Amino acid sequence: MKVKFDVSKLSVIIYWIIVLALLGLFFSNDFGLVDIHKTAIITAVGIDSDVDGEVLVTCEIAAPQPSQSGDNIKYTQVQGSGLTIADAMNEVNSKTGFYPKLQFCKLILIGETCKDQELFRVLGCFYRKNYSELTALVAMCEGKASDMLAMSSPVSDMTSEAIRKALSEEIEKSANATSASLKDIALSGYSKSHACYMPFVEANVPGTSQNGGNGDNVGGDSSQGGGQSQGGGQNQSSQSGSSGGGGEGGQSGQGQSGQSGQSGSSGEPMEFTARRTAIFTDGKFKGILDERQSFALAILKEDIRLAVLPCDAEGTHYTLGLKNVKGGISLKINDGVPMLEIKVSASAQIQGARVVVQPSETANDDVVSEHVLKGANEEMQERIAALLKTVKENDCDILGVKELLYKYHTKYFEAFKDDLLSRMQVACKVDIFSVN
Amino acid sequence: MKINARQICFILIVYTAVTKLLIYPTMLANLCGRDVLFPAMINFLIEGIVIWSVSFLCSRTDKTFFELLTDNIGKVGAKIVYGFFAAYFILMTIIPMFEQMHYVHTIFYDTVPSLLVFLPFFMFAVYAASKNLMNIGRCADICLPIFAFTMAFLFIMAFQEVEWDNLLPILQTPAKKIIGGVSGTAFRFFEPCWLLMFMGHFKYKKWDAAKFTLSYAAGAAIVLLFLAVFIGIYGDIATSRTFAVSRTSIYFPAIETIGRIDLIMLYVLESVMLFALVINIQLSVHAMTFCTGYSDKKVWAVAVNAVLLIILITCDHNFHNINQFYSNWIWIAVAVFTVAVPLLAWALRRKNES
Repeated sequence: MKVKFDVSKLSVIIYWIIVLALLGLFFSNDFGLVDIHKTAIITAVGIDSDVDGEVLVTCEIAAPQPSQSGDNIKYTQVQGSGLTIADAMNEVNSKTGFYPKLQFCKLILIGETCKDQELFRVLGCFYRKNYSELTALVAMCEGKASDMLAMSSPVSDMTSEAIRKALSEEIEKSANATSASLKDIALSGYSKSHACYMPFVEANVPGTSQNGGNGDNVGGDSSQGGGQSQGGGQNQSSQSGSSGGGGEGGQSGQGQSGQSGQSGSSGEPMEFTARRTAIFTDGKFKGILDERQSFALAILKEDIRLAVLPCDAEGTHYTLGLKNVKGGISLKINDGVPMLEIKVSASAQIQGARVVVQPSETANDDVVSEHVLKGANEEMQERIAALLKTVKENDCDILGVKELLYKYHTKYFEAFKDDLLSRMQVACKVDIFSVN
Repeated sequence: MKINARQICFILIVYTAVTKLLIYPTMLANLCGRDVLFPAMINFLIEGIVIWSVSFLCSRTDKTFFELLTDNIGKVGAKIVYGFFAAYFILMTIIPMFEQMHYVHTIFYDTVPSLLVFLPFFMFAVYAASKNLMNIGRCADICLPIFAFTMAFLFIMAFQEVEWDNLLPILQTPAKKIIGGVSGTAFRFFEPCWLLMFMGHFKYKKWDAAKFTLSYAAGAAIVLLFLAVFIGIYGDIATSRTFAVSRTSIYFPAIETIGRIDLIMLYVLESVMLFALVINIQLSVHAMTFCTGYSDKKVWAVAVNAVLLIILITCDHNFHNINQFYSNWIWIAVAVFTVAVPLLAWALRRKNES
């Protein structure tokens, strides 16, 4: 039997094989293989600045190590400096040999030393096309970012991961931090409000805690004495906090931090908290919201799942758990007068009270008495009032009121945009009710 | 018959949408701010009318566009028109080709790859372009389910992050800017020309004109939804986010834990994008065979791809300038070849008797 050899059919098959093979190479990046032993992945970036405006970038780098033991990633810090972040990153590149595309960078820490710099000049490189995705969390930190990234943590070998735990989505949903990504900051910073906020990270000695608070305070002894010796955010916070109501309502004990000043640098593991919030207008640092103002901001801006609200009622301290929290703002124009409406509603249950517990009464924790609810309502009102006071005093529209004006009342925007925050009336309705 | 109406519908749904998911949303945001939907709607409306017009013309004659032209302006005239269309299809391939190359280089590579990495595309393009229209139809059959699955996945991953009020205020952008957005992005719209080339190569059945128009509307709706999602996520900073389709799903919560699973969908969608990119090359070769009378498609496939390859190599570092040139001037070519010629086709005599 004679077998016919069809050349044209064979050529088609060969052609397909070549095309598939090349497409395989094309999509699998086999042309761009990177030797894993020479790879270094930037997991976090710390940014500091000197008085001349030169930036010092500290990269936390995860370098894969050949290991049989499973402990195969080594974390280290590499620094670079320059007039722009890109200059500094280029220096990091020259030290690590890795093209710093920042695809795996999850945290950008801005040191207090950058307070005098324009925020979007400092962060500008990250918004350049394709340099990084805008998913990285951004936070300002107490003291120098390089010092904070160099600290060790009992929570994780990777310092940035320990910091990110304090900024996590879960903490955000409990109103204990107001986390912000690069995208969030740019969206609000470049909106008509021209204001943005980010969490303020502090390092504390493990096992220490602030005394005398009303249930809000966490953390304790500062790692660097940042609260006092550096004269930075802590002092500023105390100012904004007290002006905004930090000391109102019988609260005390805020701003009591910073004594040791040595712990972080001595290699002792540190704990990180981010219950305060740094605020910016037009890219300029405006101050730091205290814990109570930050809580109010989180209630109004974030999607809260379970928040804890300490309050006093008839001389007794209660800790309430707030569920189904719905907070938000809207803007109306009534007869040419802008009116900001703030609405917060939540169902409350008692989580703790400063009284001797009676087992027979704990079954009724879901039934919160009227006087406790009244105390909770007043506490929430105070926190919101404190936040609004700081917003007005600093002309820092972190609530996005001007953006609301532009979106929903565009024809009034030009008329009101310059003095909206001082001109607007505020109607605040807080409705905290018992779970049962 | 080389292609059927179902496949044309698929082409109008899938390729219409998939060719407008990379730089088009960013360009629109750049030109019109938050009002991206309206210039897009205007362009889709204009093209939709032309699509309906050409579809309806198909119901009136079984002849190809070339035969209609021959009957009216003679064979030489018809060849000249097809020559222009062949050049027009090449013109319309240049920006999508650069766009694809930069997209692949940027999104799928951590390092900076060389130009060589993209060159295998031309082998695929030569092979595809040497096939006839039936091949285009079969590709569309394959692409539709892939496209539907991947886009559904990408939309689901994106929806959680969307803030719909980022689209507000509506229609506050000055009319001049909106018109600038319409003309500046018009070179992204060339679908009626595809239909013109398919004319006479498929058997028209009742309601096909409506099906084609609705298919195009479906493709347009997908693009408009995507634009809304893109602006809903990025608002005023959308102008800095190129390759939009790869930017919308990255905020999906699971990505933080399990990594960029959206890249799997983007890889798959990329295969559809390649077929959509190649269709203009295929139709350029198709037009070239009619123009010259030399029907060996392999030769023309090599020739057309050689032209594109030379353009790619020589203009590799001038994408921004080319894009700007297209944005400023190519709307004129679009107005002629994508709008005027298909509409004027109605004026052609459709019967042999004069």
